[in-house]
Amino acid sequence: MTTKLKRLALTLATLAATGLTHVGAHAEGTEPVKGGTLIYLEQQAHTNLYPPAGGFYPNGGILNQITDKLTYQNPKTLEIEPWIAESWTVNADATEYTFKIRPGVTFSDGTPLDAAAVAKNYDVFGLGNKALKHPVSEVINNYERSEVIDPLTVKFYFKRPSPGFLQGTSVIGSGLVAASTLALPFEELGDATKIIGSGPFVVESETIGKELNLKAREEYVWGPAKLEHQGRAYLDGITYIITGEDSVRIGALLAGQADFIRQVQAYDESQVEAQDYQIYAPSTRGVNNSVVFRPDNPLVADIKVRQALLHATDAKEIVTTLFSANYPQATSIIASSALGYKDISAKLAFDPEKAKALLDEAGWSVGSNGLRQKDGKELVLTAYESLPQPQNKETLQLVAQQWGKVGVKLNVLAGDSGSRTVDDLDPLKTPVSPAMVGRADPDVIKSQYYPKNRDVLRQKGGLSDKVQSFVDDKLNGLLDALASEPDRAKRLAIAGEIQDYVVDQAYAIPIFEEPQAYAGAPYVQGVAFEAVGRPSFYSTWLAEH
Amino acid sequence: MSAYLLNRVGQALFVLWAAFTISFVLLQAMPGDAILIKFQNPDLGLTAQQVAEIRASYAADSPILVQYVQTIGKFLTGDFGYSVQAGVPVNSLLAAHLPATLKLATLGFLLASVLAILIAFLSSLTPFTWLRGVLQSVPSLFISIPTFWLGIMLIQIFSFRLKLVPVINPGPWQELILPVFALAVPISAPLAQVLVRNIDDVLTRPFVGVARAKGANRHWILWRHVAKNALLPTLTIAGVLFGELIAGAVVTETVFGLNGIGGLTERAVGSQDAAVLQAIVVLSALAFVIINLVVDLLYPVLDPRLRTKVGVAA
Repeated sequence: MTTKLKRLALTLATLAATGLTHVGAHAEGTEPVKGGTLIYLEQQAHTNLYPPAGGFYPNGGILNQITDKLTYQNPKTLEIEPWIAESWTVNADATEYTFKIRPGVTFSDGTPLDAAAVAKNYDVFGLGNKALKHPVSEVINNYERSEVIDPLTVKFYFKRPSPGFLQGTSVIGSGLVAASTLALPFEELGDATKIIGSGPFVVESETIGKELNLKAREEYVWGPAKLEHQGRAYLDGITYIITGEDSVRIGALLAGQADFIRQVQAYDESQVEAQDYQIYAPSTRGVNNSVVFRPDNPLVADIKVRQALLHATDAKEIVTTLFSANYPQATSIIASSALGYKDISAKLAFDPEKAKALLDEAGWSVGSNGLRQKDGKELVLTAYESLPQPQNKETLQLVAQQWGKVGVKLNVLAGDSGSRTVDDLDPLKTPVSPAMVGRADPDVIKSQYYPKNRDVLRQKGGLSDKVQSFVDDKLNGLLDALASEPDRAKRLAIAGEIQDYVVDQAYAIPIFEEPQAYAGAPYVQGVAFEAVGRPSFYSTWLAEH
Repeated sequence: MSAYLLNRVGQALFVLWAAFTISFVLLQAMPGDAILIKFQNPDLGLTAQQVAEIRASYAADSPILVQYVQTIGKFLTGDFGYSVQAGVPVNSLLAAHLPATLKLATLGFLLASVLAILIAFLSSLTPFTWLRGVLQSVPSLFISIPTFWLGIMLIQIFSFRLKLVPVINPGPWQELILPVFALAVPISAPLAQVLVRNIDDVLTRPFVGVARAKGANRHWILWRHVAKNALLPTLTIAGVLFGELIAGAVVTETVFGLNGIGGLTERAVGSQDAAVLQAIVVLSALAFVIINLVVDLLYPVLDPRLRTKVGVAA
C-alpha cells in the first residue's frame, strides 16, 4: 500500500476518533486498578517460541510475559538485579558463575523451578540439542557445563572467560521454561500453548496466526525483587491480535477497539499524539541502524572509497526527513544509551567535498554519465532492503540520492526473502547492507561483527563460503578481548576502541538510534520495557475509562 | 454416466498430481529455502557450521528426486510435514485456517452472485435507457476497485467512524460482514458482465420473438425463457472464478486480519515455507477440481438438452 493511501486512511480514522470524548486523563499517583484485559495489536504473528529465538519482536512480546529470567536488568541503570536468582558469585576470570535460586518458584505446570531446572535450561541454551534440533543461544559464549550443587544452587563453567554471561541471563533469549517444553522438538515450539514458563502470565489459548490469550497467574509472587510492584499482575489477561495493516492498528486504537499497539511508523506519530494517546519509543540500546560494507567486494575494498561514502552520507537529513525525535541521529556505531558507548560524532561529519576528494584520490573519476569510473568499471553498488527495520527502503533510497551527488550509484533491491538470504551471503552481490541489532551489553558489538556470529562484514571463515579473502585480524582480536575481558573498566575501554576502529576503517555508516515504537491509550498505565524495548505488562493496569 | 464420471475423476487426479509436481519443482528452483531463511536470520546468530548441521538434520540437501518421492509418499498418507517458519505441523495450520476461508469464500461468492443477478436483471428490466447505462457500467467500476483499498475504506467508515462493526475482537459472524462485502464486489463484476451479455444475446433469439408474438410480457419472457438460458455460460465462469476468489481472499484476509488460508499463503510465500505452500497448492487444486466437476454435473440439471445427450452417450 502506498504511503499516500495510508495517510488518507489515517486521516479518516482521525476524523472518526475526534468524536471520542477525552476520558481517563493520566491517573498517575493513584492506586493501580486490578482486573481487565489488555487488547494488544501486534503487527506480525509470532514464530518459533524457543526462548533463544525471542529476539524477533513478536516473540519477545509474548515470552517476556510468560517466562522469568535468572536476573533482571534494570532498564534505567542497566544494572543486573536479582530475579529468579537471589544472589550470585562470579570468579575472578569470569569462568565460573554460581547462582542461588529463589525458593518456592514453580512453572505453570506445577513443576519446581529449582537448580536442576535452571541447569537443564542453560545446558540446552549453551550447547544446543542436536537430537531435538534446538540451536545454541547467541548470548551465551564459551559455555562448558552446569553443576547442581544443592537443590537451590547451580554453578556454570565456561571454557574461557565469559564476562557477558551475567547480563546474558537477563535477556529475552534466556527465559526459563519447564522440562516438558525442552523435551519437545524444535519444530513444535511454535505452538504457544506448549511453552510452559514461570512468568506472571500463562498462555490460556491460541488461534495460530490470529489471536493469543494470556491470563494472569494467581500464585505469582516472584517478580524482580527490586520492583515496586510485587505479587500477581494487575491485569487479568492480555489478548494479542495480529493486525498486519498499519492503518487498521492505529485506527482501531484511536477508535477505542484496542488498548496498545506495536509498530507505529514515524509519520504516524503526530496523529496518535494529537489525540492525547501516548507514543512509547524505548531505545533498543544496541548497534545503531547502520549501513555496512562488505570489503571483500573489490569496489569497497579500498578504505578511501568507504570513507568517502561515510562522509557523503547525511544522517541528519535522513533523520529529519523520514523520522521523528524518537529516532536520534547516531553518534557512534552503538546507541548513546548503550553500555560502553563513546561519542565519535566528530568522525561521522557530513562533508561531500571531502568525499569527492577521497574518491579522486582513490582513482575514481567522474565519467561522462556522472558516475565515478576506474579501469573501465563504474562505482555501482547494491543493497537489499531489510523488512524489519523501520522505513528501511526509504532510508536506503535517501542514502542512494546522497551518494549519487558524489557520483556513486546505489541500487536498492526489495527481492523475495530467498534471493535476499542467498545474495546477502555473497559480498560480490551485496557490497552494502543495512544492519542493526539490540542488546544492552557490549557483547552486542561482538555479536554484530564477529565472523562466527552475525558477521555483518562477511569475513573469510565466517557465515559465508563465498568470501574470497577479507579478514580483519585486528578487529577480531579486539572483539575476542571484548567478549572475554573480566575487568569491567577494561572491557568498556575495549568497547570504545572498537567503536573508533570500525569508524576509522569506515566499515559501517551509523545513521540513527533505533527505537521500538508502540502506542497506547491514555488509560493504559504502568507499561514497562525491558532493556531492549520489549514490553512487560506485569505492572500494567487499566485506569477507569 | 459412470464412464463419464470415471473419466472425470481420472482427470481430476491427474490435475492434482500435476499441481503437486509443478509446485514442487518451482519451489525447488527458487533461490534459498525455508530453512535457510529461518536459520540464516541474524536474530538467531547461528554460525555457518550450526546452520549446516541444522540443514543436515532436516535432510534439506538430499537429492531432489528423493525429496520428491518422500514428500509425495507422505502426502498420500495425509502427512503434510512441519512448517519451518511457524514451528507447528502443517495439518494443524490448515485446520486452524481453513474454516475462516471456507466461510469467507462461500458467503463472498453468494453475495457476489446476488449482486451480479441484481445488476443484470435490473438493467434488463429497467424502462430507462440512462439507468440501464449506469447499471451496466457498474461491473467495470467494481472490477477496477482495488480490494485492499475497498477493505480499508470499509473499515475506516463502518468500523472506526460509524462504529457499526468492530474489526478487533468481533463476533464469529460479525467479523465476516465487511470482508465478505469487500471480496464480493470484485467477484460480482465478471459474473454480472457475462450475465448481461448473455441476456442481451438470448433476447435476440427467434424463440423469444415467438414468445413475444404469443403475447408474453417482458417479465415473463425474462424469467421463463431467458434466465435459464443465460445462466448456463455464467455457471462456467463461476467455476473459473474460484481462482479469483482465493486470490481475493489473500488480500481481504490480510487487510481484515482474518485467520484464513489467504493470510497463511501470504506468510508462507514470504518465508518460502515449502511444506505449507505445497499443501495449500494441492488443497486449492482439489477445491478447484471439485467445483468444476460440480459445475459440469449441474449443466444437465439446468439444461434438459444436455441431459438427453449425456444419457445417449452413456
